[in-house]
Amino acid sequence: MTAQRTLSILKPDAVGKNHIGDILSRFEKGGLKVVAAKMKHLSKGEAEGFYAVHKERPFFKDLVSFMTTGPVLVLVLEGPNAVTKNRDIMGATDPKKADKGTVRADFAQSIDENCVHGSDSPENACKEISYFFADTEICPRTR
Amino acid sequence: MFKFFYCLMLPLLLSAATEQTLSIIKPDGVANHHIGDIIQRFEKNGLRVAAMRLVKLTSEQAGSFYQEHKERPFYRDLVTFMSSGPIVALVLEGPDAIAKNRELMGATDPKKAAPGTLRADFAKSMDQNTVHGSDSSTSAIREIDFFFAPYQIH
Repeated sequence: MTAQRTLSILKPDAVGKNHIGDILSRFEKGGLKVVAAKMKHLSKGEAEGFYAVHKERPFFKDLVSFMTTGPVLVLVLEGPNAVTKNRDIMGATDPKKADKGTVRADFAQSIDENCVHGSDSPENACKEISYFFADTEICPRTR
Repeated sequence: MFKFFYCLMLPLLLSAATEQTLSIIKPDGVANHHIGDIIQRFEKNGLRVAAMRLVKLTSEQAGSFYQEHKERPFYRDLVTFMSSGPIVALVLEGPDAIAKNRELMGATDPKKAAPGTLRADFAKSMDQNTVHGSDSSTSAIREIDFFFAPYQIH
């Protein structure tokens, strides 16, 4: 199985509630390696650009304003089937529908403040990773 | 009036000052998949993550970070180890953050570290001892500045 990469974001609610360690340990115990990480406070422009595919959706404005309320942790995760694996670990978009033991069931309050983002396909993972990281910021795991 | 003011201020005067300290999860901690385990300990003990990034140091960068140990016999091995794989640099913030972080890390030698400390639980040896933490407010300032620009600290 070749290693795949995916983009993960720990959203302002997860960072604000001090769940960084809780969530990262779920990834690491699920076989995903952190190959890039940086904490940043997104500007309105950065959040709009990242979610540009949702521009026409009714929730777009609220999503952008939520994503800029506080710092986020942007991550590149690597491992076999990383895109699917990360989505399994996150659980359903709506925390009420998320399976027990998933990140959203355990830490998210609502469908709007749902703790984590994860790429939905390998193609989008490539786009999202390059939106946030230069190649030099991604650290191949030599050990 | 004075009494009223005093009553208001007293809790502030007695509470510990909020500090920042630099923490590093070393290449062994990252390679052994303990990033989450370690940050959990910080967050559950009153230290909040104010800045974070994963970075692989060059040997020049590692050498410069540890320049105060330049004349010590362990310097070369330390530099080699610290540049052997990616590390996580963190700014931790909270009451007495420098002392609190050192308490959570435990003694430099994992064999001497108290049970329940990071080094007792995750470190293999004195050389690969999983975490670094600033030892004073002067080094905290220098070390935070080594890894982070002010706009990267939240």
